[in-house]
Amino acid sequence: MTGQQDSTMLVHGSLMVGYAQACKNLNIVAGRAAHAFIDKLEINNWYPLEQWRELERLVLRSYGRVEPILVRVGIEMMLGWYHYGPGRSLIKHGASFLHFQTGSQGFTSVVQGAPEVIGTFDMDFYDRRRGRAVIHSTTPFNRWMERGVLIGGLSAPGDLDYVDVLQGDDPDLLHCEFH
Amino acid sequence: MSLTLDEVLAQNDPTKVEQLSKEELHRLFWRFKGQQKTSDRDKAFWQSTNENLKVAYERLDEQERELARAYGIIQEDLSVAHNVQRALLPRVLGEMADEIEVAVYHKQLTEVGGDYYDFFRLPNNRFAIGVFDISGHGVSSALITAFLKAQFMQVMEHFDSPQGIVEWVNRTSFDFLREVRKYATVNLVTFDPDGIRYVSGGGYGYLLRADQSSHQFEKKNHFLGLRLKPYREFSLPFASGDILALYTDGMVEAQNKQGIDYSVRRLNDVISRHRNDPCEDIVARCVEDYTAFRAQDTDDITLIVVRRR
Repeated sequence: MTGQQDSTMLVHGSLMVGYAQACKNLNIVAGRAAHAFIDKLEINNWYPLEQWRELERLVLRSYGRVEPILVRVGIEMMLGWYHYGPGRSLIKHGASFLHFQTGSQGFTSVVQGAPEVIGTFDMDFYDRRRGRAVIHSTTPFNRWMERGVLIGGLSAPGDLDYVDVLQGDDPDLLHCEFH
Repeated sequence: MSLTLDEVLAQNDPTKVEQLSKEELHRLFWRFKGQQKTSDRDKAFWQSTNENLKVAYERLDEQERELARAYGIIQEDLSVAHNVQRALLPRVLGEMADEIEVAVYHKQLTEVGGDYYDFFRLPNNRFAIGVFDISGHGVSSALITAFLKAQFMQVMEHFDSPQGIVEWVNRTSFDFLREVRKYATVNLVTFDPDGIRYVSGGGYGYLLRADQSSHQFEKKNHFLGLRLKPYREFSLPFASGDILALYTDGMVEAQNKQGIDYSVRRLNDVISRHRNDPCEDIVARCVEDYTAFRAQDTDDITLIVVRRR
């Protein structure tokens, strides 16, 4: 994604604050500069994508193997969203999170910009009985973090015994399994 | 009768697993797999965190070594600076030693400092003693001492009076001192055959006559670098056996553990009590008394005691 494209996309403060809070909860961002940056975020503001990138870099530059960290940040974000944010009133069951997240109140409600820039977050396949779904994501966000978001969102209500999200050969396809 | 998984777990009895329905057995299967997944994710997270911690410790270690290297260089530099500053301090002039007995205690709080004293030769073949305290401590103040010494060395060839000397130095140093946001107390005393003349701006001077009377220096003048105004000069008789103590605020403003100042009065009392001792001994008694009193040094210290022979 280029800088020009970055400048045309906005990210909602709730997403920024959720990410930042998850980082703080997990103690994975260090230093006064990082905390000062995070503390300046306002939940009701919209921020340029570059600012989101800066937030991501706080984590990316700290870790040699960042993937498990990003998954954990995604999970923590959604647990926070469910238990301390509006999540509990929006979804009743883990599986319904997939519909929520791919619907109008999910991903599309926390980003603004041209469709070719913000990408999509759609459900390509869903089978509740078999506990399978496939999400197709072309958003500019990190797929590992998105895996964490899906795991966290599915797990948060606590009604599912098993949750996992994997990437296949196509990194934009997120294969969800839930029972 | 079949039991639910939650009921079996609540009863804490593994034999009851046999009473689970098929559906509940499936739940048990998925819950177990779910726990394994969660455990795998946690393990990956903590491994990554641990690796990160290891890298962070290695970086910290390297930075600590860098800091130690940098600190070593700074200490070496400061040690050289300390020697340079000591070398800039004067020795008692020959003609001065013929007339007066002199003892000095001079201690900088850190390797280099902002207290400075000097002995000057005047154009009328007389001599002068100057004691100065530059605002602040450390390297910046030490640099100002070298600057002031150069200024005084220049002017001493042209003036006999402390007022003329101090006013010239204040005038020529004023802009520079303002620019670097420094100022200095001044206590300059010229020794005439039968008396002294002095200009004091913030400095301390205590004259103790052989007839037991005493006089504390007037401090009404301003510090060097603070104002472009004339200085007032004062004259006092200074006869054989009279003692003059010149000092900065380092001793008298130091406090004991109860927060009480050592004070001008206490220092003058010690000097007075030991007035008949050699000047070196008077200084030694002052330092002993001060050291016993103060909780810790908080400033550079200069104390000069002279006696007219």
